[in-house]
Amino acid sequence: MADHHVVIDQLVKTYPGAPKPSVDSVSFSLPRGEMLALLGPSGCGKTTILRMIAGLVDPTSGAIRIDGRDVSSIPVHKRNMGMIFQAYALFPHMTVAENISFGLEMRKVGRSEREERVLKALDLVKLTGLGGRKVSQLSGGQQQRAAIARSLVIEPELLLLDEPLSNLDAKLRDEMRDEIRDIQARTGVTAIFVTHDQDEALSMADRLAVMSAGRLEQIGTPREIFDRPQTQFVASFIGAGTFFKGKVVEPGLAMVEGLKPLRFTSHARLGSTVQLLIRPHRLVLATDAGQPNSFTGTVEHVVYRGQTLTLQVRCGDRLLQADLPTHAGVLPEKQSEVTLSVAAEDVTLVGEEAP
Amino acid sequence: MADKNFLPRLSWAILITLLYLFLLAPIIIVFIISFDTRQYLAFPPESLSFGSYVKVFHNAKFVSAFWRSLAIGAVVGFVAVSAGMLLSLSLVRYRFRGRGAVNFLILAPFLVPHIVLAVGIMLVIAPIGLLDSYPGIVLAHLGITIPYTVRTITMSLTAVDARVEEAARVHGASPLMVFWRITLPLVRPGLVAGGVIAFLISFDEATISLFIVSVKASTLPTEIYHYLEHSTDPQIAALSVILILISVVVVIGVERLIGLRKAL
Repeated sequence: MADHHVVIDQLVKTYPGAPKPSVDSVSFSLPRGEMLALLGPSGCGKTTILRMIAGLVDPTSGAIRIDGRDVSSIPVHKRNMGMIFQAYALFPHMTVAENISFGLEMRKVGRSEREERVLKALDLVKLTGLGGRKVSQLSGGQQQRAAIARSLVIEPELLLLDEPLSNLDAKLRDEMRDEIRDIQARTGVTAIFVTHDQDEALSMADRLAVMSAGRLEQIGTPREIFDRPQTQFVASFIGAGTFFKGKVVEPGLAMVEGLKPLRFTSHARLGSTVQLLIRPHRLVLATDAGQPNSFTGTVEHVVYRGQTLTLQVRCGDRLLQADLPTHAGVLPEKQSEVTLSVAAEDVTLVGEEAP
Repeated sequence: MADKNFLPRLSWAILITLLYLFLLAPIIIVFIISFDTRQYLAFPPESLSFGSYVKVFHNAKFVSAFWRSLAIGAVVGFVAVSAGMLLSLSLVRYRFRGRGAVNFLILAPFLVPHIVLAVGIMLVIAPIGLLDSYPGIVLAHLGITIPYTVRTITMSLTAVDARVEEAARVHGASPLMVFWRITLPLVRPGLVAGGVIAFLISFDEATISLFIVSVKASTLPTEIYHYLEHSTDPQIAALSVILILISVVVVIGVERLIGLRKAL
């Protein structure tokens, strides 16, 4: 932990009069230069964490350490943070250049150095030559860029982004997503961004911290979160899939109600009740209904999505979702009978209750 | 087509003109009388001249009261805006116990007749020895103008996104700097509108002033009132025209400068 740039330690925020904490003992840390996404549904406490790091909200308890130093008692304006707000929060009475220059002025940087750094920042976010514009003369994407320049020009300790893409239309969102990622990589600034959009989090962040109801559910790389969700919440919040509840009858084999026994590779104790997850794209068409981990059922629903075909297959009283690649030969039709199978290593253990 | 719409349009225009004439009639009559040469107020005038205007400018009582009113109005405007700014900030930005009560108290003078306020203010000011003094009249006028400045500034302040102030704080501005560089410039329309309204109210106010001042700190409206008690010549009309012009100039000036409609 010592070599970590930013360490969040047992952070708690309880608002007066609230029955339970908004942020409940959350800990995580970031190495220098990492981009971390705080992901969760609205009201899960992710924005509160961001605001506590910025200093806009006082933690009830816990510590925020930057390079080993607790910054909890440092006032907002001395923390040297950069922050991108959801609606950008640019200063409407100033030009773009004045907006960017503001943080430098507050740091008493000399005029000539200020001008130089503002020009560099404008170049960085591709707003070269627009410094003299009023904020109201910029498009949504340009305002976003100006806000990024305003935050990065002060060379902040940490860049905080609060739902940075939610105010943009779909096309601009993809563009800015790559842009933010690129700028972050080039400047090497450590960044934390808050989002409720799993695609955004998976594609932008080095690591994801998934939150629910004030608690940290799981933290890991996008791949770890997607392929090895540790809780049912993470598994259902990120990506689609079908859950099975079963009882472990021998190592790697669980009896599932109404279906054939399921094989899996993760370790679970004998006799415990487990939650197993099968992602739709892990299911494949099988020819032999007798092979292990296969399900035979009727196709209830077919959606053609170009690269994949999404099926809802009725197996007994369960509905399985499967995404099949469309190049896989003859594709099943509605009301036809299909057999799907899944490899044991693609059955993910997401919960275990002791017997 | 044009013919079909001509009659309705014409009658509409006549109706509007008549309405405006009705509203402006007193001012128009005062304007005409101000040029009358007779020594009493009557309509229509017999012959016209600028004599009354010349007399007003040579009336030492009017001239000194005018400057006093101007100074009192300026001080009242400035103090009412400063107090209004602080009150609005606390009412808009903070949630505290008794906030509703404070809000009501500030707006209460709107609900009370001026004559009642006048007696009340006099009863408060007399024991502390501020009757017929500048601090006394300024205090009295602040009581009736602060509700207006709080209103205009609160409206401007509500329109300022709190996130913008937060952005300034995060990027290195101390609380004082946030106020000075962000909040204050953004509420400027409200400040100017509040200041102008406060000035004009103080400059025109007669009822309360009559209870507070007599000789030393008399304002222009009280001098006009006292003048009317024993003489009624066109000087009063001429003075009224001058006062109306001042108000119009101030309002147009502010409108040109920042757009009063935006501020209100």
